[in-house]
Order: sequence, then structure tokens, then C-alpha cells
Amino acid sequence: METISFAGQLFQYLITGLTVGSIYAMVAVGFNIIYNVTDIINFAQGEFVMLGGLIMVFFHVAVGLPLILAFPSTVILVTAVGILIDRLAIRPIRRPSVLTLIIATIALSILIKGAAMFIWGKDPYDLPAFSGRNPINFIGAVIQPQYFWVFGFLVFIAVALTFFFDRTIIGKAMSACADNPDAASLVGIDVKRMVLLSFALSAAIGAIAGIVITPISLMEYDRGAMLAVKGFGAAILGGLGSFPGAIIGGLILGSIESFGAGLVHSGYKDAFALIVLMAVLFFKPSGILGDIEISKIKRF
Amino acid sequence: MLRIDGLSASYGNIQVLKGISIQVPKGKVVSIIGANGAGKTTLLKSISGLIKIQEGRIVYKEKDIAGRPASRIVGLGISQVPEGRQIFSHLSVQDNIHLGAFLYFKRRNRLEIQKRVERLYEIFPVLKDRTKQIAGTLSGGEQQMLAIARALMGRPELLLMDEPSMGIAPLIVREIFDVIQQLNEAGTTILLVEQNAKAALKVAHHSYVLERGEIVLEGLAKELLDNPKIKEVYLGG
Repeated sequence: METISFAGQLFQYLITGLTVGSIYAMVAVGFNIIYNVTDIINFAQGEFVMLGGLIMVFFHVAVGLPLILAFPSTVILVTAVGILIDRLAIRPIRRPSVLTLIIATIALSILIKGAAMFIWGKDPYDLPAFSGRNPINFIGAVIQPQYFWVFGFLVFIAVALTFFFDRTIIGKAMSACADNPDAASLVGIDVKRMVLLSFALSAAIGAIAGIVITPISLMEYDRGAMLAVKGFGAAILGGLGSFPGAIIGGLILGSIESFGAGLVHSGYKDAFALIVLMAVLFFKPSGILGDIEISKIKRF
Repeated sequence: MLRIDGLSASYGNIQVLKGISIQVPKGKVVSIIGANGAGKTTLLKSISGLIKIQEGRIVYKEKDIAGRPASRIVGLGISQVPEGRQIFSHLSVQDNIHLGAFLYFKRRNRLEIQKRVERLYEIFPVLKDRTKQIAGTLSGGEQQMLAIARALMGRPELLLMDEPSMGIAPLIVREIFDVIQQLNEAGTTILLVEQNAKAALKVAHHSYVLERGEIVLEGLAKELLDNPKIKEVYLGG
């Protein structure tokens, strides 16, 4: 029976890895939305996830709103934070270069983290799982019902975004801004509004990620930076700018981390993501699904 | 239709346009010829709102439009075909054309948009065979046609064209200038900026010669074609 339980253990690592990877994928998707419209990497992306988790705890646990109300309220509030970031920190920068904007997002992530510590303190917060915590046993692995919510939302986000960018004129206008902002304004697209929309959208996705992961891993004020690093790794691994790439990259990164922690040593868990990130940058900077030709003309 | 009075503009510290005045009457083709760096592109970008001007007035249909953002100016009926095409190279040909209609891309306008697209495919049959192709993979001439098609989707009354002949095979250049003539005959007013002086003078009614940010000569295009100075400098003797 020893071999079966080992297989079960591997399966357990895979399930855990894919769940955590789904969150990385959502963070990576958030990176890509803003990157695709503005060419900048928003390092405050992880803070959206942290805010999503903590604000959800506030609405659901502290205020006592039912899940169905607390969820959208949280997403709306975090989206508002995303809009404020664009209005107060990105748009006012005079003669913006990609580098100054990126540094501004780093400053913002520090600011948001500080504010969160001020509001919520340093303790981690728990959130009740959406459909209870009775684990399901499946081929020797233990699966939390919340895992399905995480997967479900990843699929939902992937489908919704694909539809938005491939089928709607606003989605195409956002891609056009990334492609050529001057030409975009020549056809009547207000580029600044599209940038605002990209911040709003990726804040909303960050919030969803934070809400669904908090019942599994708790949430505290300083989680954002590490999530941003992992999400960035996933985005690079999949090819910066590619949505399918972000999802594949996230799932792979989560799995590597989970197998690494289980089979090698759990203390090195965070190192695996960084090793993968560096390996990709060394050997295939365009990522798995990135277009090598496009990556040559891009500024990053 | 368009009147520019004493327009000055600069890039950083370099004064590019020094008090330019031109007129574009409704229904005409006006061309501006001049060498590289004379300020032709800056002039068009000032009109379309991509560059902030320093001084002067840009009067379109009796309204001063100077200082309005580019995304608003399209809605007034001024479309620009930018220098070097500037198509959305990662998007498909069809997406490029549809984005040209961005300002009125709504379900209730579907029929109008469909009609316009069909009309464009009549003018540029090459594009019809390539609707799903990624625009960046088109040839230079096809990209230029796409850029014109995209601008035309904006329902322009005044079309600004920046060097439509740049980097394009001579045969295609002729085709594009035929299209310019067709569009004008169908009622579109055109302001054309060109280094290819011969082609530009042939298609235009009225022309201006721009040198180092100043208008040095103007007149009927036909007369400029015979002007000895123009012949020597711009038409190669």
C-alpha cells in the first residue's frame, strides 16, 4: 500500500499546487491587463489581493453581510482603490516614462501595505469557507471544497476576459492603446480612460483572488509583495502580456512550488518561484506563450 | 473649411513651425510639400491634436479647435492617416477597420458600419481577402491602405494624410493617389502632406511649400508644377 499512498501524496501536492497556482494566475492576469494597455508593471497588484481578502473579512465577518452581498461590495471597493491609484498616482505624473510609473507603483504598494497594517494590525485574519470545510477524499488526496471555488473563479475570469478582449469594441480599444497609443487617440479612443479601466479591471480581479484564497491561507497586511513576486513570475513564465500564458504560468508555478515544498524542503517554497523566474529570464525571456518577435520590439 | 492662422509649435526647445497660415477650402485637395524636417508632420499633428501648439488658431467650421485632445477632434469629422501607417499591428485587419468606427460602434449603427466596410472593400479589394490576417504581417502598401481605410471609418469630412507614399512601391503609390482622387470626387476634403512633390502636385488643387517651418511659396498646384524653382528643388530639374 506504500506506493498508493505515495501516489496519493503526489496527487495531493498537485491539487494544492494548482489551487495556489490559480491565485498566482489571477495576479498574473492582473499584471497583464495593465501591462497590455500601458506597458507598465503594476507592483501594487499584490496589494489588491491583500485588500480583497481583508475587506471581505471586514464585510462578511465584522459587519456580518451575507456572502452574496459582501463579495460584490468588496470587489467594488477594491476596484475603487484601483481607480484612485490611477487618478492620484499614475495620471498626475508629468512626462511619464515607463520606469517612473513602475517606481510609483512600488511606492503605492508600500503605502497600501502601511495603511492596511494601520487598519487591521499585523495578525492574520480568517474567513469562513464558502461551502464549509468538510474535505472530500479523492484518490487518497484531501480536497477542500474551497479549492473548487478557486478553480471556478479562475475559469470564470479566463472566459470573461477572453470574451471581453476578443469580442467587444472596448476590449479591442484597450489592446489598441497598448499597440499604438497615438493611433488609438486618432480613432477617438480616450487613452487615459482606457488606462483607468485597466486599473479598475485588474483591481477587481485581484480582489476576487484575495477573497477566494483567504479561507484557505488566511490573509494579513504584508502578503501583497510576495504574491506580486509570484504573480510576476507566473506572468513572465507564461509570456508577459499573454492571458493563456498567465494562467498556464500560474498553474505551473504553483505546482512547482507545491512539489518542491513537499519533495525537497518546505523552507525553500518561496525560492522555487524565484528560481523559475530567473531561469525563464535567462533562457527564454519571451516566456512559454510569448511571441519572440513581439518581445523584441517591446520596451521590456 | 479649415483655416490656420499664425501657427507655431515646437518639439522641446526646437521651434518647428514658425507662424504658419494656410487654408483648406471645402471639397478641395490641398497639398503641402517640403523636405524632411520641414515641419510637415508637426503641422498635421497640431491639427489632429497630438501636439500642443504654442500660438495661433486652428479654425475648423468656424470653431477654434486648437488645444482639444486628439480623441475629441476625430468626432468633429477630421481623421488623420498618420505618417508610417501606424496601424494596430497586433490586431486583425477587421479589428483595425472596426476600431476606426470606435466612436459610433454601437449595435444600432451596425448596418451603417457594415455598409461602410463593404464600400471600403470595394475601394481596397486586397483588404477583403485578408480580413482575419494580423495587420502587422501585411505588406507596406497594404498597411497604407488599411491606415486609410481605418481613417475613413471615422466618417471624415476632412482627411489629413501624412506621406501616404512613404516606403511604398511606385505602382502602389499610383493606386493610392487614384484613391485620393476618388475620395475627393466623392466629397471628402483632403489635406495632403508629401515629400513626393510630383504626385502631390498632380492630385492637388492648391499647394503650399514648407521650408524650415515657414511657408515659402503657395499657389495653384498646376502652376507650381511649372514653377522653375519648384522644378529645380523638388521635381529634380
